[in-house]
Amino acid sequence: MHTSNQFGAIAGSDFMPTIELAERPEAQGKDVAVAGVRKTYKNTVALAEISLAVTRGEFCTLLGASGSGKTTLLKIIAGFEAPDSGSVRIAGRDVTQMPIADRNIGMVFQNYSLFPHMSVFENVAFPLRMRRLNHDDIRRRVGQALDLVSLGELRQRLPRELSGGQQQRVALARALIFNPDLLLMDEPLGALDKNLRQAIQLQLKKLHHDLGLTVVFVTHDQEEAMNLSDRIVIMDQGRIVQSGTPDALYLQPDNPFVAGFLGECNFIEKPGCIVGVRPENVRIGAQLDDSDLRQDGQIIAATFCGMHWKLFIKSHNATMIAYAPVAGASNARFEPGRTVAWGFAATDAMEFAVQ
Amino acid sequence: MAHLALDLPPSSLAAASAARRRFSPALLAALPLLVFLLCFFVGPIAGLLKEGFVRDGALSLANYRHLVDTPIYRIVLGNTFTIAFFVTLSCIVMSYPLAYLMATVSQNVSRLLFFAVLLPFWASALVRTSAWIALLGKNGPLNTLLTSIGVLDQPMAFLYNFTGVMIGMTHVLMPFVVLPLYASFRAMDNTLVQAAQSLGAGSVGIFNNVVLPLTSPGVVAGGIIVFMNAVGYYITPSLMGGPAQRMVAELISYNISEELNWGLAAALAGVLLVTVLASLWTFNRLFGLDQLISGSSGKGASAAPARRTPGGRVSVVLGVACAIFLLLPVIVVVPMSFGTSDFPIFPPPQYGLRWYASFFDDGKWMGALFSSLRVGVLVTVLATLLGTLAALGVHKMQSARRTWLDALFIIPMSVPAIITAVSLFYLMAPLGLVANSVAVVIGHTVLASPYVYITVRAALRSFDPALELAALSLGASWTEMFRLVMFPALLPSLVGGAVFAFVTSFDDVVMALFLTSIRNRTLPKLMYEGLAHDFDPTVISASCVLIGATVLILLTNMLLEKRKGAL
Repeated sequence: MHTSNQFGAIAGSDFMPTIELAERPEAQGKDVAVAGVRKTYKNTVALAEISLAVTRGEFCTLLGASGSGKTTLLKIIAGFEAPDSGSVRIAGRDVTQMPIADRNIGMVFQNYSLFPHMSVFENVAFPLRMRRLNHDDIRRRVGQALDLVSLGELRQRLPRELSGGQQQRVALARALIFNPDLLLMDEPLGALDKNLRQAIQLQLKKLHHDLGLTVVFVTHDQEEAMNLSDRIVIMDQGRIVQSGTPDALYLQPDNPFVAGFLGECNFIEKPGCIVGVRPENVRIGAQLDDSDLRQDGQIIAATFCGMHWKLFIKSHNATMIAYAPVAGASNARFEPGRTVAWGFAATDAMEFAVQ
Repeated sequence: MAHLALDLPPSSLAAASAARRRFSPALLAALPLLVFLLCFFVGPIAGLLKEGFVRDGALSLANYRHLVDTPIYRIVLGNTFTIAFFVTLSCIVMSYPLAYLMATVSQNVSRLLFFAVLLPFWASALVRTSAWIALLGKNGPLNTLLTSIGVLDQPMAFLYNFTGVMIGMTHVLMPFVVLPLYASFRAMDNTLVQAAQSLGAGSVGIFNNVVLPLTSPGVVAGGIIVFMNAVGYYITPSLMGGPAQRMVAELISYNISEELNWGLAAALAGVLLVTVLASLWTFNRLFGLDQLISGSSGKGASAAPARRTPGGRVSVVLGVACAIFLLLPVIVVVPMSFGTSDFPIFPPPQYGLRWYASFFDDGKWMGALFSSLRVGVLVTVLATLLGTLAALGVHKMQSARRTWLDALFIIPMSVPAIITAVSLFYLMAPLGLVANSVAVVIGHTVLASPYVYITVRAALRSFDPALELAALSLGASWTEMFRLVMFPALLPSLVGGAVFAFVTSFDDVVMALFLTSIRNRTLPKLMYEGLAHDFDPTVISASCVLIGATVLILLTNMLLEKRKGAL
């Protein structure tokens, strides 16, 4: 078993730890393969023949709206739900019929599910006690795990005496202390405010890197998915719509659904196809090249977003979104009601077949 | 001089308003129940207890010393605590699977299970006891079944021994643990169980580390109430136990009716009362009497788990078995009542209305039924009036007084009926009030008014005070506000409290044993005589009439609750 070296210490403060990437060790995580999994509740199909392979050490995010089946898939991998058909394998071993307790999966729940009557120490020690480790080992390993998430000082507190971010880290330590083959996370950052969320994302990324964890992460937040993942699996209505690295999904979406789900996208209907253009690729006025496809439109509204101006342009009964650079722009230029020329380069257009 | 004269009026005004505050209408409203309980509960019990410290006209501890020195009394006291302890234990053990089952099934099944729990709770002690006696007897259906399938060689004695007492008392008292435990299960976050599973805990680990610690407050609360009730039980142990299972309550009764030894009876009552009050005090320290008032209802935080743990599946089976245990006597006794043979047999070889005819044609039974109804109606009116007024009054008071009055108004429900009954008998028999039902009406009102008080008090707590202020600010006088705003909001609970009051009176045996005579005896008393002396099968048909009435009342109340929920 790995011991002290597997938990590279995270130094630094609560919010923004200084990140020093440790030498990447042999991955602790294992391969996970879901094959032909189907699940129905009465008359609704929650999952329709899902197959998904996550390689060891991969951070894989299931991204979708509520009701897309992402949580059901997570529950089936964890063993809280049994699939109607299909199988789940971890490290090549079929675990479909295996009790949850024997699967060696760490799970972080949406509301953390810390045991309210146990101290931080007892919560983190729980999986080791269930594995009948001796007293000294438990003390030592819980100590290490709490140091890893910078909670060593708070070991005697009860969960209700902790902040949301601290509870989150206890849940993480508890899920990792028994060296699970796989870490499952069910929208674990949803309850945290934005600053804290970013800090924890960073910590999570580091832990993932340092320990070589295999992670399956569920979220509906596309920004969070892009921040964290090696691979994003976009789900809709119980199916996998597309999966790939964040940049591949963003730059080469297979269909309008993915293009619209991950980032913003303008859709223009053409005979026989739909053309998608990202707002950052829409050019305004003087930016336009001669070769660009161009249209006239009327500015409805303009909002300042820091990096750029976000323009809403009415054109042919549709509203286009364009990001205009801040440099050289003035409020007057984007006054609502003004007519502007807009367009895009043919190479930036993403063409989708009509479904 | 002028200054002084000018100063006077405001200060006298202030004094007057202070006086008015001291004698507020709130206190006036609580006064009737307060006076009633002082006269017919606190006073008589104090009078009885005093007897315990008197021997041959002089103050002495001789009666208490006698309890300690005489082996038979020591044994009975030991019995009482042992039986109460084991009944508490078995209630807790059996409640776990049932409460778990109730909390994890669909709403309709859960409602059905609630009915299974509440029916024996509200069915008269005599109905339940007579059903068990019919079911468990030497030639009863259970022994017939077990011998015919070869589990037993010869009929086993379930009755008139420790087993009988355990069965009978666990059956009645289980709801006190099941209900709070159900609430704890509902309040428990189901993902905690999932978390424990994912961290490697098996069924036993989950139960010990998660379920037990998180449900223990509910269990301890229920357990204390069970113990408190069990210690003072009279009817069930005296009918289903043997001589070795005699409990204190029976001994009190024996000392009064057979030995005429009031001193010893009073000393026994003293021991019992101290035990009950100590339990109540413990409950108050741990949970606060508020818990009794607010009642326990599940919040419904967690959904049923999609996949039960192996331990969960075992619990489901055990839970179903417990539900059957609760319903069994009622299920079996109904067909038995339609038998025609001289002794109740299950299943009856022939169906007929013989025993119903003997119930409805016999002047003795009809007289008892009407006596019960008359007493019940009078008690309902009295208890509803006193309880509602007191609840309104206490609701308006400052907290210091409130705590005391809350305690006083709830205690009559917790003190064993035998103590109240004997005390009232001691007070009223010499005045001739036993023969004309005044005594039994008063006794039942003492017993029933806490139920009205608690339900109305709970409703007032959940009544939004802003509504009262809104009505007053819109120009309503307090009476108009009460009539148009507050009273309609309280009505469902008031009706619920009245139903409890009626059922309490209608089902009581212990009070009736002491506070009625042969001329005005109630139905349960007549049934008790029918069971205790020679077994008259009319008792079974009478039981079924009572079960029918209870079911009807419970269903009506459930419908009302539903309407209250819909409003």
